[in-house]
Amino acid sequence: MSTATLEPRTKTAPLRRLAALAVGAACLFPFAYLLLLSLARRWPFPALWPDGFQPDRWHDVLSGTGNLAAGFALSGLISLTVAALSTAAGYVTGKYIAYHPRRQTLLFLAYIPFIMSPVILGTCLMYLYLKAGLAGSTTGVILAQSMFAYGFGIVFFSAFWNPEVKALEDLVFTLGGSRLDAYRRVLLPVSRGPLLVCFFQTFLISWFQYGLTLLIGTGKVQTLPLLVYAYLNEANVHYAAMAACLLILPPALLLWINKRFVFNEMREF
Amino acid sequence: MFRTGHNDRPGALGLALFILIALLPIGFSLGYAFAYSVGLTGLLSEGPTGRHWAQLLREGEIWASFGLSLYVAAATVVLGVSGALLLVLYLRRPLRRGVLAYLIYLPLALPATVTAFLTYQVLSSTGYLARWLLALGLLEEASQLPGLVNDAGGVGIIAAHVGMAVPFFTLLFLHLYDSEKLDALTDLARTLGAGRRACLYRVTVPILLARARPNIVLLFIFVLGSYEIPLLLGRQAPQMVSVLAMRKYALFDLTEKPEAFIIALLYTALVLLLLIAGMRDGTVFRRGRETP
Repeated sequence: MSTATLEPRTKTAPLRRLAALAVGAACLFPFAYLLLLSLARRWPFPALWPDGFQPDRWHDVLSGTGNLAAGFALSGLISLTVAALSTAAGYVTGKYIAYHPRRQTLLFLAYIPFIMSPVILGTCLMYLYLKAGLAGSTTGVILAQSMFAYGFGIVFFSAFWNPEVKALEDLVFTLGGSRLDAYRRVLLPVSRGPLLVCFFQTFLISWFQYGLTLLIGTGKVQTLPLLVYAYLNEANVHYAAMAACLLILPPALLLWINKRFVFNEMREF
Repeated sequence: MFRTGHNDRPGALGLALFILIALLPIGFSLGYAFAYSVGLTGLLSEGPTGRHWAQLLREGEIWASFGLSLYVAAATVVLGVSGALLLVLYLRRPLRRGVLAYLIYLPLALPATVTAFLTYQVLSSTGYLARWLLALGLLEEASQLPGLVNDAGGVGIIAAHVGMAVPFFTLLFLHLYDSEKLDALTDLARTLGAGRRACLYRVTVPILLARARPNIVLLFIFVLGSYEIPLLLGRQAPQMVSVLAMRKYALFDLTEKPEAFIIALLYTALVLLLLIAGMRDGTVFRRGRETP
């Protein structure tokens, strides 16, 4: 055990356990609170607990009726499309940029859509989308979100394509394999993990996107993040909580299943 | 050595696609924004003029907005990174195994939209915190709770951003702790006579912060352009940059639109400067191997 940190000493162990318990509770609190709020019939001030539960809202969603089920399906469709497009394109483009003599400059350009505020950039892009007839459409939203997710995909994969991977590819050519062989037998199997992580990350970029969807979708493309705010504007906190639950439960489940794998791959951005 | 890289046709097509769907639209849009801001285009354009720039830069609103954004970003970086450091140094063992090792990943699934909603639900004057303080007898009435959302100090906005940053940086530091072999390094420092405090402040913390620098810079940039959180938890004035730009853009008053574009241009310039600075000192791009 290292002595250079604040790591355990016997007399502080109960305090440390208490702190760990508090951190664990803080991690669980958002999920528990939102679930409770979505199920509550009423939760008047200053009660600490709802005065009854009403599962009807969840029943509506699970039976596929109402705005939320439609919003969930639309969000899923948009996010899966954006993730598939940006992961595939980022994989290929990232490789080209990683081995390019002007790697730094090209990477700088790839960072631009990735780090800019989507809302601010969206205000400038709106004119173009209006002229192209893409504003207010699902296609327009997919295209706009892909612009940002594609930048992420390039940045992500430019780090994956390194001399070791290049050496593996060259070895296939040396042994008489074609480019197709290199991808089918070596590169794709080697990059299965990063491909999954990039897909997951770009899915989340799209799944969580609010401002850009609001702007380019002109409020007509009602994804789950938009529904959270729409319900909040109506002061309908129970439905807002349910929309929030639908928004966070799928990624939370995926993270729980693949926790270390996903984080270790995505950590350095 | 990497000669096949730039002869890669699918890759070249990919780059062309990126330029076509991302860089060209962004470049064109920024050009359009500039033209609009100097009166060269737009419904109410009246020929070249610097009036909109002069008017906006004279007003205090834009400076207050940039000031608030920089303050929130800086506060988030300081509090978020410090909080994560403290957790990793104090609770490294439970964070590595047991239930907490799983639970700490869950907050990564919370988007800004939900974090803003939750923060409002907890910190507002009738929120969950006020209910508990009343139940425990620490408050006599809810109005005694100081404003924690939509407040002048941006407490709610900062709390929401910090809540999002701490889990990510905790996991990052935890990973760096292992990958940088800090246990072995601190043991070595101890062997060479360093005290506990010296090991902490001269070995562990500097290494963790240095390795996490790219992420810290990116956190600052992301918070600077944050929208959903200040939209719900911020005040009407001053507003953070994204909220102000969107408000001026979405107003029915067309005379406000050039100002929205000027804000967007100034924000873009600031972010690009930060990115260039990060690139120059290797903070942002120091990844993988050097270009051959």
